[in-house]
Amino acid sequence: MNKKYLIVLAVVIVIGIIGATMFFGGSSVDRNPNELVTAVGAHGGEPETGFDPIQGWASETEPLVQSTLLKRTHNMSLKNDLAESYSVDDDLKKYTVNIKNGVKFHDNTTLTANDVAFTYNKAKESGAAADLSSMVNATAINDTTVEFTLNDSDSTFINKLCSIGIVPEDSYENGTYGENPVGSGPYKFVQWDKGQQVILEINNDYYGDKPEFKKLTILFLENDAAFAAAKNGEVDIAEVPLSYANENVTNMSSVILDSVDARGISLPFLNDTGNTTEDGIPIGNNVTADENIRKALNYGIDRQTLIDGALNGHGSKSFDGIGPVLPWSNNDSAIEDGDSEKAKQFLKEGGWEDSDNDGIVEKNGTKASFKILYDSEDTTRQAIAISVSEQAKELGIEVIPEGKSWDEIDNGKLSNGVVWGYGSLDPSSLYHQYYGGLAGQDYDNPSCYNNSAVNQHMAQAFKTDINASYADWSQVSWDGSTGISPKGDAPWLWTSFVDYPYFVDNTLDISENTTTVQPHGGDIFGNIYDWKRVES
Amino acid sequence: MNKSKNTYYFKKMNLRTKTLLIISLTALILIAIVINSFFIEASSLTTNFPMRNMPPSFEHIFGTDWMGRDMFTRTLKGLGLSIQVGAFASIVSTIIAVILTFVSRLNKYLDSFVNWLIDLFASIPHLLVIILVSISLGGGLFGVIIAVGVSHWTSLTRVLRAEIKQINTFEYIALSKSFGKSNLWITGKHFLPLVLTQIILGTILIFPHAIMHEASVTFLGFGLSPHEPAIGIILSESMKYLATGAWWLAFFPGLSLLLIILIFDLIGDNLRKLLDPTKAHE
Repeated sequence: MNKKYLIVLAVVIVIGIIGATMFFGGSSVDRNPNELVTAVGAHGGEPETGFDPIQGWASETEPLVQSTLLKRTHNMSLKNDLAESYSVDDDLKKYTVNIKNGVKFHDNTTLTANDVAFTYNKAKESGAAADLSSMVNATAINDTTVEFTLNDSDSTFINKLCSIGIVPEDSYENGTYGENPVGSGPYKFVQWDKGQQVILEINNDYYGDKPEFKKLTILFLENDAAFAAAKNGEVDIAEVPLSYANENVTNMSSVILDSVDARGISLPFLNDTGNTTEDGIPIGNNVTADENIRKALNYGIDRQTLIDGALNGHGSKSFDGIGPVLPWSNNDSAIEDGDSEKAKQFLKEGGWEDSDNDGIVEKNGTKASFKILYDSEDTTRQAIAISVSEQAKELGIEVIPEGKSWDEIDNGKLSNGVVWGYGSLDPSSLYHQYYGGLAGQDYDNPSCYNNSAVNQHMAQAFKTDINASYADWSQVSWDGSTGISPKGDAPWLWTSFVDYPYFVDNTLDISENTTTVQPHGGDIFGNIYDWKRVES
Repeated sequence: MNKSKNTYYFKKMNLRTKTLLIISLTALILIAIVINSFFIEASSLTTNFPMRNMPPSFEHIFGTDWMGRDMFTRTLKGLGLSIQVGAFASIVSTIIAVILTFVSRLNKYLDSFVNWLIDLFASIPHLLVIILVSISLGGGLFGVIIAVGVSHWTSLTRVLRAEIKQINTFEYIALSKSFGKSNLWITGKHFLPLVLTQIILGTILIFPHAIMHEASVTFLGFGLSPHEPAIGIILSESMKYLATGAWWLAFFPGLSLLLIILIFDLIGDNLRKLLDPTKAHE
């Protein structure tokens, strides 16, 4: 009997503690006004390899500690950062960049063209940073000029000049740099408590416009922990999952940023013929390989219902995963969705019929049933997977959602649907998503899509000047006869762009009209230069 | 009036009737939960986003979660799963325990081996064994069920082995042997009837352990997908929404789990009163 009383006592204590934290946890913590404490990066999270651009730190975002050759402004145009000027050869095979003279690293050494060349060559070697596969090498011509030689014409290489922070050649050490980074960015690294926080302080010698905040602490709190920190007044800005976006927090207001970060489900394009990759990952799915199934889903799923439900109303429809603000977006990719009649028409044309009256269609004894895998840590993807599954059932297609870790998803990514997040400011990301030659490599082209017309458009785009190439990139989506959008081959079921919800302290102004376009993972610090304290 | 009459009847009952009543009533609750959970269709677990995070009401007596799913149905389904896992684990554990016990009786080498096996398994924390086995079986519901099943036999085996050792010293066993009765005959006629009570009680008492461990493993995120209703998953998910004030997500499922465990304890205690001759007079 004693044990029972102990259990009851334990439960009472637990409930008591929870109750107490809920009632007394609302006190706020005082901070110096020129200090900033954040809990952002719920999508990117804490970098495993530290703050090393060569290992992939901040490849689409503001690196804070380091600086890049070029930067993106809030309207996506490029502006010089470390670069003084740059030129591109007509054949798009050579990029020459002149850098600012006399920029200092945090350790007071001078940043020269040698450091730039070193950083890019190292990054190519590691392969963990931005895709530099088209680069042969980077060479310093003199102290302020660096030349990038490519093996083939690549108009998108200009984007790579914004995506790698420059590290000092003299003190860079592979493996330890990430834990003690030295750069030339607006903030100096102070300390990194793994699993908890990183502390940065202002770089007084910064060559550009200095941010107002002297000290920046980034807490690695995710999801509910970030929300709790916001509620307790421990942070100035917190990034929360969409399911918390409609909550109220005292002294904070909710800021919801649009993004080009799309959520879509890859639908295996090939039949399952027992083929595997070199690593033994099975390829293909006999249900989704049928174009009629893919089209039925694309036309039948009501994206607005999904956004209102799974995304708590914070998103916008996506048909091809390309953000509407991107210059290569294609308006013709849009279709009338939520059309269950049309979806059923597709199934009928494909010979899929419900012969055993279980509500799910069959064809030649194969049930229209397949799995979609989602990252079990990500509640937004979970909600999307479940909503799609419920809607698909109405159409007569059985979609079984399964929450897995990424290691497990890796083994099923080519033979099941997978909920992915994509959203890049670099059009060459389309090449990684759809180019036939990259099918099934790492996270590239997971539906193993291959269409020679689409491949051709991409090949053409690389050879065309960047501004003119956007027309070619947009034809990847739909060129009037084929493409990756629902009217074409529909190798994906793109659902929506997800908004990025933040709770921002009322004394902080994050200058919403200069916010940079948010790629996958978000880039809230993109305009930290314009943030300031205001009277609440 | 009615109430006092009932208590009067209850008092007038003798202990045996009272015990039987408690056992059958509690057993009925458990069976009702399991049968109910079988009949809960997937369609009643679907999302209903406009109804998200509703506090308890008459329509949703346990409230709703962040996808607007009815928590009462989910809890019931989860408890049904827990009880099934518990039942499976108890039966498998009992079978393993009985087999090992009688194997240990055969000769002293086997006896040391069984003893070593018990020590080995008992020396690793329970939860670790479960996690290791379930991962090595490829995870999923199957992994969890088997892992919980093959990890709860140690205590029962130890009790049974001690019991058998004691019975072995009785004179009639030696007598049977010298009459030339086979080992099997002695086991069936002399040992089994004496340890049957222990086996039945042991099985019942494994139940709460198995359920608690199933809940712990799913709480830690092993096995099932986070959208499937298992009591551990429901509880771990509820933690995420406590900060938003959604107390009902943790409170009701947690309380239900606690009640189920207490019910099993109650059945075990009362059955012992009935079956265990040394406690017959309590």
